Amino acid sequence: MTPGQLLLFAVGGLSNAAYLFIVAAGLSLVFGALRVINMAHGSLYMIAAFVTVVIANQVGAGLGFWAGLLVAVAVTGAIGGIIEVLVLRRVYGREHLVQLLGTYAVSLVVAGGVRIVFGANYRTVGSPIPGHIDVGGYSYASYSLFMIAAAIVIAFGVWAMLYRTNLGRNIRAAVADPDLLNATGVDVTRLYTTVFVIGAGLAGLGGAIVAPSQAISSSIDTDVLVLAFAISVIGGLGSIVGSAIGAVIVGMVISFGLVIPATNPYALAFVFIIMTAVLIARPRGLFGRPES
Amino acid sequence: MLVLFLFAALIPPLAGFQENVNPDVSARFQIFLGTSALVLALWAISYNLMLGYTGMVSFAHAAYYGVGAYTVAILFKRYNVPVIVGLAAAPFVAAAVGLVTGLVAQRAVRLYFSLLTLAISQLLFSLVYQSYDFTGGDNGAAITLPDQLTDYTTLYYFTAAVVGVCLLLMFMIVRSPLGAALLSIRENRQRAAAIGINVKVYELAIYTIASLFAGVAGGLFIFYQQQAYPEMLYWTANAQPVVVSLLGGTTTFLGPAIGAFIYVVLDNTISKQFPYQFDIILGAIVLAVVLAVPGGVSDLPAVFMRLRERFRRGDEAEEAPVESSGDAIRMFDVRKALSSDAIQAVEVHSGKTLLSIEHLSKRFGGLRAVEDVSLEVKQGDRHAIIGPNGAGKSTLFNLLTGQLKPTSGKVIFDGRDITGKPPHVIARTGIGRAFQITTIFPKLTVRQNLQYAMLAHGGYTIRPFGIANRMFRAEAQELAESVGLGAWADLPAGQLSHGDQRAIEIAISLALGSKLVLLDEPTAGMSAYETDKAMELVRRLAAERHLTLLFCEHDMSVVFSTARTVTVMHQGRVLTEGTAEQVRRNPDVQKVYLGELEEEELGA
Repeated sequence: MTPGQLLLFAVGGLSNAAYLFIVAAGLSLVFGALRVINMAHGSLYMIAAFVTVVIANQVGAGLGFWAGLLVAVAVTGAIGGIIEVLVLRRVYGREHLVQLLGTYAVSLVVAGGVRIVFGANYRTVGSPIPGHIDVGGYSYASYSLFMIAAAIVIAFGVWAMLYRTNLGRNIRAAVADPDLLNATGVDVTRLYTTVFVIGAGLAGLGGAIVAPSQAISSSIDTDVLVLAFAISVIGGLGSIVGSAIGAVIVGMVISFGLVIPATNPYALAFVFIIMTAVLIARPRGLFGRPES
Repeated sequence: MLVLFLFAALIPPLAGFQENVNPDVSARFQIFLGTSALVLALWAISYNLMLGYTGMVSFAHAAYYGVGAYTVAILFKRYNVPVIVGLAAAPFVAAAVGLVTGLVAQRAVRLYFSLLTLAISQLLFSLVYQSYDFTGGDNGAAITLPDQLTDYTTLYYFTAAVVGVCLLLMFMIVRSPLGAALLSIRENRQRAAAIGINVKVYELAIYTIASLFAGVAGGLFIFYQQQAYPEMLYWTANAQPVVVSLLGGTTTFLGPAIGAFIYVVLDNTISKQFPYQFDIILGAIVLAVVLAVPGGVSDLPAVFMRLRERFRRGDEAEEAPVESSGDAIRMFDVRKALSSDAIQAVEVHSGKTLLSIEHLSKRFGGLRAVEDVSLEVKQGDRHAIIGPNGAGKSTLFNLLTGQLKPTSGKVIFDGRDITGKPPHVIARTGIGRAFQITTIFPKLTVRQNLQYAMLAHGGYTIRPFGIANRMFRAEAQELAESVGLGAWADLPAGQLSHGDQRAIEIAISLALGSKLVLLDEPTAGMSAYETDKAMELVRRLAAERHLTLLFCEHDMSVVFSTARTVTVMHQGRVLTEGTAEQVRRNPDVQKVYLGELEEEELGA
């Protein structure tokens, strides 16, 4: 493999990592604060992808995409709020099986709804940032580079939200001890709704951003969910830094795994081998904190 | 149960009858649906062995089902093995895969266990999906049935027979002592370990057994579908047995079977006309079950009863707690018991050491929770450990019973080195424990709590046959009576009052034949009356059954009325030790307590 190829596949890996990070960060944030694994996280991602594609195709690829992205994030955030109020509030503190099944039921409803509204066919949308940049004889899609940049901006945004705002301080306090936080007068119920809306919005953002780079179908929900699980588990559920590292690992494994002929068929298998190995060596992931 | 079997047996003739009456109905199709419901029932019940009986959530169960189907297909296609032989091999291949992957998954617990099974499932899926030459990849793998089985009615009865045998075997396991061990793990892992059950080994066993039966189900699946495909192993495929178990109820053995028939009927009536709406309806049903009817369909009668009750009374239908508050302790005949003076007079047995702790230390990072503690507990003694909060008493207990491993030092019990041994091993050497927070099996009856402890103590819980609830029944009843709980033997233990639950916990230690019983603040949260009675019970049992007691307690009146030897701990170290009288007069002890716990009246 030449240095040029190496760079090409590395950028490919990073652009995989970009959208996966955005989705996994939302999953991980929700788990960290609410201690709930959201099985409907992939469904929110799927809704956003469809909304973006439909609006972008109606309005036109350039402006339409950005409008679609905004609408998609707003829609998924709102749906997230509804899910939290109607379903999650009733399952906090119950065994995790109940939480898995409750959010799984939501994902079934969403999957059926998406097929009714958007149909079962593949959909695509043109890139809002067409063109490519040529470096060392290989060309890089501008949109891939945009995705990477966007993920970095979002990573800093989430970090700033967690460590530089009141809301973030409350979220971190809720991760540490929700009862104590409640006793200090913070409305934990509202905080949980806010966190879930943010998590859902991140899933939506991931879905919107991924739309121009992939064909969108009604089965992308479970595909992305299982990868987001792998990333969060490798990085440590509840850790944003962990999600970033996990996303880069998974993105690279998929990118390089697919181009090396010997490993090509088993690229995805490697992701799960790594996930298994990390869970065995460090049951709470690379950056996870032990549960109290 | 019988109704269900009759129903299953009558499906083909009924379908034939229906076809005669109404030619639009295809008997063949109806019987096909019946076959698929049977296979689904087997698969779901095997899943429920983990979910309902042990409380494990696995995302890899579909993978073992898929392995079963592929075993039949690959043996047939590549090695020309007859499909019947393949079906016989399928459970063993699935169980072998289940055993190996289960060992890996067990490195984590609860949620992380579930996520590990997810990784394993996706790993197995990718292997099957990508090994095109071996498995046929996304084309799947097909078989041809032998002529004898091509008739759909014959195939139905063949499937029904295999499923029936499997259900019978699983039913035997569920009510055997092995099943009792699994139930106790679901109810309370810590208590299960404390009665001597090796939780991990039993979980692995049931995981393997469940994958064995999933292998049979997978093998039967390929018989009626004649095709195995990789999606069978995909993690989302687990939704089917979970939804089916949930629909029918996870707490009853045949619940998932009822769920399977409902599911197949729903699937074919709804998804034919509204293919996309099926998911929504299914989701709505799961949501309704999760939020409103946790017990599934088999719990519906109880739910209706509760609703009717609420309607009748016109107020909140709170489940009335059973009025037993302190009754067990009141029941206990004080006159028959030895008076505490008489017990005080019993001499400590020849001063033989039962438990010896040598230079035991436990550090958490920089915190020295227990530092160089040495003490001896004599046989027949009632030995109290006192000290202010944070003195290291509970940590010391956790080191003795294996919840924590010491950083250094030794624990010798009854001549055996038990340092750092796991809780279930220590329980079996004869140390019983009542935890600070009452730790019993709340949904099991009082008698079952004691019976299961006796089964574990006797080493019967490895038996996958026999009826657990019929074993040690009389012995458990007698023990329940001796601690004043005879009248409540058939009530779920969790419904009894706090004081009575403590009594159950002590009785569990007795059921284990423990020589040494550790009581961690036995009277915490009790009223003064309950406290007196509970300690009288403890003293009487200790005297009657030659028990050695080691307890820690904040209530000084309890300490000085019960203990013969008192060890005082302070900041992780032993401050002093002596008879109750010596300790009471020790000025250092008074300083520690007056300095830190002014409200405690020494010598009260």
